[in-house]
Amino acid sequence: MIKKTLSTLLLSTFAVMALETGDAVPQAIQDELKLQANQTYVIDFFASWCKSCKKELPLVEKVAKENVANVIGVNVDKKEEDGKKFVSDLGLTFPVIYDNDKKLVEAFDPMGFPAIYYVKDGKVVNVIFGAVDDIDEQIKKDMQELK
Amino acid sequence: MRSFILLSLCLSLFVGCSFKNVKPWQKESLAKPIMQFGGIHEAVSKYEGHVYYSKEAARGGSGVGGGGCGCN
Repeated sequence: MIKKTLSTLLLSTFAVMALETGDAVPQAIQDELKLQANQTYVIDFFASWCKSCKKELPLVEKVAKENVANVIGVNVDKKEEDGKKFVSDLGLTFPVIYDNDKKLVEAFDPMGFPAIYYVKDGKVVNVIFGAVDDIDEQIKKDMQELK
Repeated sequence: MRSFILLSLCLSLFVGCSFKNVKPWQKESLAKPIMQFGGIHEAVSKYEGHVYYSKEAARGGSGVGGGGCGCN
């Protein structure tokens, strides 16, 4: 009995695993993000209170406008209106999903913000955590490599 | 029996402990300006820092940068 309880406790600590490069995105999450086959997506997790996100997002917007990549933003603010105001203030035009129940962010489980995931054919092919100077150039370079 | 009770009492001390880490997306409250070391008013903390440096003849090491979101 004790052995069984201990092994259950031990296993439960590994129940939630972060998505890493090479991992397949669960179908339910792909459906939520409306991902299509044979496409490469840049999925950017951000929050209004994240200073680095505020710095980085205008550059991501630039990339989206230039059609370099299919960008999908995922806002993880506690209140959706905070996220909407942030998106409107920055003038973001790429699609943003408001992850109110934290289903998406918990599935990806990034270790820091901003978090950018490259998803190709339903698989994570690259991940960037934290702010990167000239992220637009980085995304362009990565997209070239992923072609 | 006594050792069992003692062990149970010791284990009960850990009931309030959590093994869960705070995830980056749960740090909204921590990122608020009010959570800054020294409070929300920068002028007050600057003044207090000035007094501290004068009295202690030492400065620095009073905080770290970043909003607690796990960014670089």
